[in-house]
Amino acid sequence: MEVFEHLATGFLAAGSLQNLMFCFIGVLLGTLIGVLPGIGPIPALAILLPITFGLDPLSALIMLAGIYYGAQYGGSTTSILVNMPGEASSVVTCIDGHQMAKRGRAGAALAIAAVGSFFAGTIGTIFIAAFGPPLSAIAQQFTSPDYFALMLLGLIMAVVLAHGAVLKAIAMVLIGLLLGLVGTDINTGLTRYTFGISGLWEGIEFLPLVLGLFGIVEIIRNLENPPPPREPINTKFRDLMPNRQEIREAYPAAIRGTGLGSILGILPGGGAVLAAFASYTLEKKISRKPAKFGSGAVEGVAGPEAANNAAAQTSFIPLLTLGIPSNPVMAIMMGAMIIQGIQPGAAVMTTRPDLFWGMVASMWIGNLMLVIINLPLIGMWVRLLSVPYRLLYPAILLFCAIGVYSTSTEPFMMVLMIVFLIFGYILLKLGCEPAPLVLGFILGPLMEENLRRSLVISRGDPMVFLERPISACLLVAAVLMIMLIIFPQFRKKREEAFQEE
Amino acid sequence: MFANLLKPTRRALLALAAAAALSPSLASAQTDYPNKTITFICAFPAGSGADVLVRYFAERVSKVAGQTIIVENKPGANGNIAAEYTARAKPDGYTVYVHAGNSTAANMWLFKKPPIDVAKDLRGVQFINKQPFMIAVRKDSPVRDINDLTALIKEKGGDASYATTATSGKVLGAVYLQLAGLQAVEVPYSTGPDALNDIMSGALDFAVLDPVFALSQQREGSIRILAVSSPERMKSTPDIPTMKEYGVNIDQLGWWGVFVPTGTPDDVVNKLNALFREVLETPETEKFLNGFGGDVFIGTPEEVQDLLVKTVEQWRGYVELAKIPQN
Repeated sequence: MEVFEHLATGFLAAGSLQNLMFCFIGVLLGTLIGVLPGIGPIPALAILLPITFGLDPLSALIMLAGIYYGAQYGGSTTSILVNMPGEASSVVTCIDGHQMAKRGRAGAALAIAAVGSFFAGTIGTIFIAAFGPPLSAIAQQFTSPDYFALMLLGLIMAVVLAHGAVLKAIAMVLIGLLLGLVGTDINTGLTRYTFGISGLWEGIEFLPLVLGLFGIVEIIRNLENPPPPREPINTKFRDLMPNRQEIREAYPAAIRGTGLGSILGILPGGGAVLAAFASYTLEKKISRKPAKFGSGAVEGVAGPEAANNAAAQTSFIPLLTLGIPSNPVMAIMMGAMIIQGIQPGAAVMTTRPDLFWGMVASMWIGNLMLVIINLPLIGMWVRLLSVPYRLLYPAILLFCAIGVYSTSTEPFMMVLMIVFLIFGYILLKLGCEPAPLVLGFILGPLMEENLRRSLVISRGDPMVFLERPISACLLVAAVLMIMLIIFPQFRKKREEAFQEE
Repeated sequence: MFANLLKPTRRALLALAAAAALSPSLASAQTDYPNKTITFICAFPAGSGADVLVRYFAERVSKVAGQTIIVENKPGANGNIAAEYTARAKPDGYTVYVHAGNSTAANMWLFKKPPIDVAKDLRGVQFINKQPFMIAVRKDSPVRDINDLTALIKEKGGDASYATTATSGKVLGAVYLQLAGLQAVEVPYSTGPDALNDIMSGALDFAVLDPVFALSQQREGSIRILAVSSPERMKSTPDIPTMKEYGVNIDQLGWWGVFVPTGTPDDVVNKLNALFREVLETPETEKFLNGFGGDVFIGTPEEVQDLLVKTVEQWRGYVELAKIPQN
C-alpha cells in the first residue's frame, strides 16, 4: 500500500526530536489560545507567524498547524467548564457541554470531547493520506481557466457560508480583492495604487495586514467589552470516565460528526466553525429526543467536537493539493508557506514529499499529544483564565510590533499595520467580519492573473472558460451557489443555521 | 593519517594560491579590517530563497573573517530600497550588499527615476555565481532543439505563445524572437510552478524559465530544456547547449555579486574580496550554488565593476527591446 509507505515517510520526518518539540509547542500554544477567550486561531496564527521564520519549513508548518487544531481542543475545555467559548468553533459545545457540567458530568463531557476529537483527528489524517494524492493528480490537470473558475467558486462559497449579513460578506471580499491589486502588475510590470510609496511596490505585505486587522483589533474589542469573570466548575481527573449510557450515545455522534466535518473541511469556504454548527444541527434533527438538546445532550458535545476537529484537518487538503486556501486560517497557512519559499500546490507532494507527509503525520502525533496533555492538565488551563488582561494585552501588542518590524526592517510596515488597525476598528464598529477580506486579499491577485492569462492564451475569447470541462463544472457550481443566496427559501435556512451562535 | 596530512588537497593548494596572489596587497595595506560586526544587506524578505543564499555567505564569511555578520532584510521596490540604503551607508566595508548584479543594473532602466546611479554609487567587490535563463518545452512536445522551435513558431505565424517568469525571462524571450525574426504572444507568470500546468497542457509552445525551476522540472521529467542564455555552456549543466550554438547570438547572464558604497578604500575592498574568495573556493559552496542552478563565479573587484557597467549598458537595450514600461 502506497499510502502506508507515504505515511511512513511522514512519520519519519515528523518524528525527529526537533519536529516533535515544535509540534508540542504548537499544540500547547494552540490549547492556550483556545482556552483564552478573545483570541481566536486567526489572530493567534497571525501573531505567532513571525517566530516561525527562523525555523526550517517543516518545523514551522508543523507548529502553525498544531496551533490551529490545538485551539479547537482548548476551546472546548472552557466551553464546558466556564460556558465561555475560547474560539468560534466551540460555541456550540457550550450549549450542551456546560449543561452536562452543571449536572456534575463535567469530567465525562471533557473526556468525550477529547476522545471524540482524537478519533476525528485520526480519521481526518487518514482522509488526507488517502485523498491527497488523487486530488493532487487532478490538480495537475488544472490550467489557468480552471484555476480562475475554482477561485471564483471559493470566494462565492466564502460569502454563502460567512456569518452575518451576506451584503457585508460580499463587501469584505471585494475590499480584499481590491487590496490585493496594489503593487506591480505582473502582465505589464507597471505599479498600481502605490501612490509613489516604494513600500507598496510589491503589494501590501501580508503580515501587517493580518496583525492590524485581527491581532490588535482583537485586543481593542476585549478592552471595550471585557469578558465577564465566571466561576469555573471544579472537576477532578478521576471524574473523567463517562458512563456506559454516555458512551453509547457519544460514539455514533462522533462518527457522524467526523464524516460531516471531513467533507465540510474540504469544501471551499468550509472549515471548523461551519462543521461544528452543521453537526449540531444534524444531531438535533436525527435525535429521537430532540428536546434533550440544550439541557446536556451527549450527542451535542460529541458530534460538533468531532466535526470541528475533522474539518480542521481536512481543510488542509485544498491548500496542499490545489494551492487554494479554503478558509481564512488556511489563507494564513498559505502566507506562511510562501514566506518559507514554498509555493503551495500539487508540486509540494512530488517535490517535497517529506514536507507534505511530515505535516500529515504531525497532525496525528499532535492530536495524540493533545489528549495526553489536555486531560490531566485541565486544572491548569482553567487557572489560566485568571491571568490579568493588563499583563496579557501589552504582551500581545509588543509581539505584533516586533513581528512586523523583524520581517522587514522598514518603519513603513509599522505604519501599514497601524492603518489596518484603524481600518479593522472601523469594520468592528460596523459589524463587518474581516475574515472574508483576507480570503479575497490572498485570492484576488491569483484570480486576476489567471483570468488575464486565460484570455491571453485564448486570444481574448471568453468561451475558454466554458470549453474546458473542469472550469465549466466549477462555474456551474458557482452559479448554483449564487442562486442559493438569491432564493428566499434557502436564505431563511441560512439565517436560522447561524442564529444559534 | 600522516599520508593524508602530506597529500596536497585541491582545496589546500587553492587556498595557498589565493594567499600567494593576495599577500603583496595585504602586506602593503596593513588593514585591520574587519574589526567589528559586518552587516549584509539582503533585498529579499527573511526566509525567501534568496535570503537563504545571503545567509549562507553571512555564516561562511563570518567564519573566515572572525567577525559576527548580521543580515538585514530590506525588501521592496525590486531591490531599489536595499541598493539605495547601501549606497548611502558609510563607505567603510561594514555595510555589504549581496544581490543579483543583473537586477541591480536593470533597475537603472526599469524606473523613471532610479534612486542611485548603480555604476557610480556602488563598488563591485566579488562575484558569487552566474546563472543563465533557460528555454524549455513540455516533455511530449515534438520540438527537439532551438532550430525546431524556430521553425514551429515561424509556421504558426503570430499565433504561437510562450510563458515567461521574471524580468530576465521576459527579456530572453523578446531577444530570441527578435534575433530569429519571429513573433509570438507572451504569457507572463510570476513563478515557475504557476506556469507548469499551462505548459504541460499544451496551451503554450515554449517557456522561458529560471534555472532553479527549469532544472528541477527537467529532473521530474515534465519539461525538456532546449538551451541556456549564457555565452558558454554552464559547468554544472554541460549537456545543455547555448543559444549561440544555434546561431542565435544571445549573451544574457544572470549573476550575483557583492557590492559596497563607492568611497570604500581599496585595501578594505581587496580584503573583502579575499574573504569571499576563500568561501567561494570551497566544494561546499560549489555544491550549494549548483543547487541554485548556476556555477561559482570568482573575480577581482575590477572585473566585477566592469561587468556591472557592461550589464547596465546591456539592459538599456533589453528594456527597450522587450518593451518593458518604466515605473
